[in-house]
Amino acid sequence: MEKQTPSTMDIVNRGLARRYRKEKQFKLLGLSAIIASLMFLVFLFGSIVANGWTAFRQGAIYLDITFDEQALQVENLRNANYGKLIKTSMAELFPDVSGRSQTRRLNKLVSSGAAFELQDMVLSDPGLIGTTKLVRLPVDDEVDMLLKGHISRDVPESERRISDEQIAWVDQLVEAGRLQLEFNTTFFTAGDSREPELSGIKGAIMGSMFTLLVTLALSFPIGVAAAVYLEEFAPSNKWTDFIEVNINNLAAVPSIVFGLLGLAVFLNFFGLPRSAPLVGGLVLTLMTLPTIIIASRASLKSVPPSIREAALGVGASKMQAITHHVLPLAMPGMMTGTIIGMAQALGETAPLLMIGMVAFIVDVPGSFTDPSTVLPVQIYLWADSPERAFVERTSAAIMVLLTFLICMNGVAVFLRKKFERRW
Amino acid sequence: MLKKGLIFGAVSLLAVSAVNTSSAAGGRDYISIVGSSTVYPFATTVAEQFGKTTKFKTPKIESTGSGGGMKLFCAGVGVESPDITNASRRIKSSEFKKCQDNGVKDIVEIKIGYDGIVVANSKKAEQLKLSRKDLFLALAKDVPDPKGGEKVVPNPYKTWKDVNPELPATAIEVLGPPPTSGTRDAFVELAMEGGCKKFDFIKAMKKSDKNAYKGICHTVREDGAYIEAGENDNLIVQKLDANPQSLGIFGFSFLDQNGDKIQGSFVDGQAPTFENIADGKYPVSRPLYFYVKKAHVGVIPGIAEFLAEFSSDRTWGEDGYLTEKGLIPAPAEERAKFAADAKGLTPLSM
Amino acid sequence: MGMDTVLDMGDTFLTGKNTLGAIDSVVEEKVDREDRTTVGTQFVDDARMTCRDVNVFYGDKQAIRSVSIDVANNEVLAMIGPSGCGKSTFLRCLNRMNDTVDICRVKGEILLDGHDIYDKSVDVVPLRAQVGMVFQKPNPFPKSIYDNVAYGPKIHGIVNSKTELDGIVEDSLKKAGLWNEVSDRLDEPGTGLSGGQQQRLCIARAVAVRPEVILMDEPCSALDPIATATVEDLITELKEQYTIVIVTHNMQQAARISQRTAYFHLGDLVEVGATDRIFTNPLHQLTEDYITGRFG
Repeated sequence: MEKQTPSTMDIVNRGLARRYRKEKQFKLLGLSAIIASLMFLVFLFGSIVANGWTAFRQGAIYLDITFDEQALQVENLRNANYGKLIKTSMAELFPDVSGRSQTRRLNKLVSSGAAFELQDMVLSDPGLIGTTKLVRLPVDDEVDMLLKGHISRDVPESERRISDEQIAWVDQLVEAGRLQLEFNTTFFTAGDSREPELSGIKGAIMGSMFTLLVTLALSFPIGVAAAVYLEEFAPSNKWTDFIEVNINNLAAVPSIVFGLLGLAVFLNFFGLPRSAPLVGGLVLTLMTLPTIIIASRASLKSVPPSIREAALGVGASKMQAITHHVLPLAMPGMMTGTIIGMAQALGETAPLLMIGMVAFIVDVPGSFTDPSTVLPVQIYLWADSPERAFVERTSAAIMVLLTFLICMNGVAVFLRKKFERRW
Repeated sequence: MLKKGLIFGAVSLLAVSAVNTSSAAGGRDYISIVGSSTVYPFATTVAEQFGKTTKFKTPKIESTGSGGGMKLFCAGVGVESPDITNASRRIKSSEFKKCQDNGVKDIVEIKIGYDGIVVANSKKAEQLKLSRKDLFLALAKDVPDPKGGEKVVPNPYKTWKDVNPELPATAIEVLGPPPTSGTRDAFVELAMEGGCKKFDFIKAMKKSDKNAYKGICHTVREDGAYIEAGENDNLIVQKLDANPQSLGIFGFSFLDQNGDKIQGSFVDGQAPTFENIADGKYPVSRPLYFYVKKAHVGVIPGIAEFLAEFSSDRTWGEDGYLTEKGLIPAPAEERAKFAADAKGLTPLSM
Repeated sequence: MGMDTVLDMGDTFLTGKNTLGAIDSVVEEKVDREDRTTVGTQFVDDARMTCRDVNVFYGDKQAIRSVSIDVANNEVLAMIGPSGCGKSTFLRCLNRMNDTVDICRVKGEILLDGHDIYDKSVDVVPLRAQVGMVFQKPNPFPKSIYDNVAYGPKIHGIVNSKTELDGIVEDSLKKAGLWNEVSDRLDEPGTGLSGGQQQRLCIARAVAVRPEVILMDEPCSALDPIATATVEDLITELKEQYTIVIVTHNMQQAARISQRTAYFHLGDLVEVGATDRIFTNPLHQLTEDYITGRFG
């Protein structure tokens, strides 16, 4: 028998199965990587949402409050004893409760902030004095936790922060329709507080907003200008190489270093106020600038040279070619880079620690120089608070932060789609 | 074009705010407080109460740690520097001197109460009866040779039973704060050093070779038995719940808030209860302080009123609202003394 | 037409027997391959652009060696040659487009209407308004058709009113033979047009600033044959008003549209002459090799 040399097709066919198998394996590998990361994401979001969704509901108690003229000592409404109004109302609901300590336990069901709510009501509308009104007031965080099932009724009484007697009162109030879980508006309208039921995220949101406004207003124009100069005008020599290397290095510098720099320069040298969003924004500008410059340069590089030539070819000056043609085309990429930088800045706590923005601040900031904190700092502070009700608030604050991030990324995608042009 | 407008708008907004700053930096209308993260929950509660019941703004409180707070506090006098610093230990003489050097002459010291450091485990496990000596032997890097003799060897103990035959045969696994934490400092000083001193030859070293003494008593083992769980005490509580074998070290307020999940171990026969810590029976407890810059009183509005609020019995007294937050009140005489200091702004002398 | 006559006469003078049909003898007299001095009619009387002893360097590498050539008024000058011969580089010297390349240096003299365009006092912006350019790949701006054409007049401030601008846009598009196709959709993106239309739009854009000279760098290489034919017709029409220098790879195209042809070889200008003459009776051996397809 003569040995036949195999034809090319035979060789190809023989190897074909192996080649397809490899391709399949590769695809599977990629797919499993995607699935794994999705699982992590689902797990992360799942646990945050599972922990945090209850924070959007809050126990509220409805009490018939008589704004008694005598009890309020009308001459000085600020120092009047509003707590007494609540106590009177509670005593009417539970006529059997007697004795000092039992009364005290009963009154502890209502939040210590309730009196201040009454004060605000009366101060804004003194006409209430002398009337009786059904008023919605916050309950104590322990009651709230009980309603949400975060405190188990099965454990022995001594180990709970809420007694059997108090539980019975709570059940009575629920039965009477006076106590129920409602949407937690306080969470979105109040600043920080040591009482979980009075704490809110608005102070942190406003702080983040002011800080990011400063960051955006500075880092975007400076970053774009730097990128345009380096990419379009700078002569290529050792200096520009040096600058480029340094910008790339800066992008990798741990953010705490920028905080130290901010402390030394903005606070100690320029004497700007501590804990102010203005300084926070300046520090975060330093941090985001390298990101924005690098992204902007990349997007300038990706503009096809033919567009530049076309503009120069009809006699546009370099400046005109850049501002009329190159920049608009590079803008989506620049904006994406900026928003990524902003998102990074939004999640930053370390540099803010050094300039005093990791602080307990109750008043919602109203300007760039008011003391304020930011969202991630609020999360950090709540995560470190002993009260159990802060656990769910921590997760809820994370959800708010994530919502912000998703919105920002959404804006990035939208802008990219809107300004993107084909060539 | 719209974009350009936006940018110009933002820039001009910033310019306006920068102009505002220069005028705002001239004065400060709120109290600025820095310092210990242990005192933070109490100080913030008082600050909030103060902000709501008076016409003054709510003080701003930064949690910087005791040492960091002292550094800021002693940096000088003026609106940029804080008015009050919290500390989970007394001011050191070196810090006091630095304050003096920087022109911070008159400092008012107020002791606000006590904090207990507890060693706790999950309710699902057995409650432990430990001694400070047990804690030292279980957690120190080097311990006296179990075979006898006056020398130290790397910690050989794997289970609690190895340390003390009366304890269960579970592996030593303790979750605690990192070295940056004041709680860790206090635990090392009060619990470990307390146990360490029980060995005579080590006690003798305190005089002959102080560094070696500190090295033995203050160094926590690094072979995995002591797990640094970060500054977040809530996390430790959650981990204990998930892993009944392990123990955790944290402030009393966390035990107070989570009594349904965790239990504090006895230390030297004393349970970490409110009463025991207040009486001084529980050995691992420490005083908490804050320090006020006298030069700022009358300059920054509200400091005197804030001190009055803090030192009133309804705040730090036996039934005061700070006990809700886990503060152990100081004895009545001590409270009276410091309330008088707060009122008279009696400066500290060292 | 008079122009052509002059050129033909020049060629006749130089190559003497050629017109008499004594082809065989001419072939034997071809300039040797190693000799790189330019032969043919380099210079004309009414030159629009005059290039003398132009050398171009990219860093240390010399891309163009001592090229001297005139571009006559209202002619189409085609530049041909194998890839990398420097014809595009030379073309881009004529409106200083090479300035954008950092490492590129140009030595020698290039005059436009008697003024040295490389003189220090010369601004490239007005120069490029006088010497327009059309590129190899159609590169309309990612804007509307109208804005593409109107861009040049706008930045140079040629127009005072919208009506005037409308007039220029219409006029330019008509000159580029595109008006009938796009007059009803001027606000649509220029990038949405077909390749041939895009290239004509680029020509309209160049024409809109009323240049004297238009440089074209292989304008048809990215187009299909039909679009190519349209653009070629257009070039022939534009010649009436403008001076055109075109680089092409396509020898048939050069033969169809140009009056004079220059042959570049590895940085040297080897031969220039009337297109008819070059393609029928090249003087230089290298030219002959190229047009007969021996290389390139």
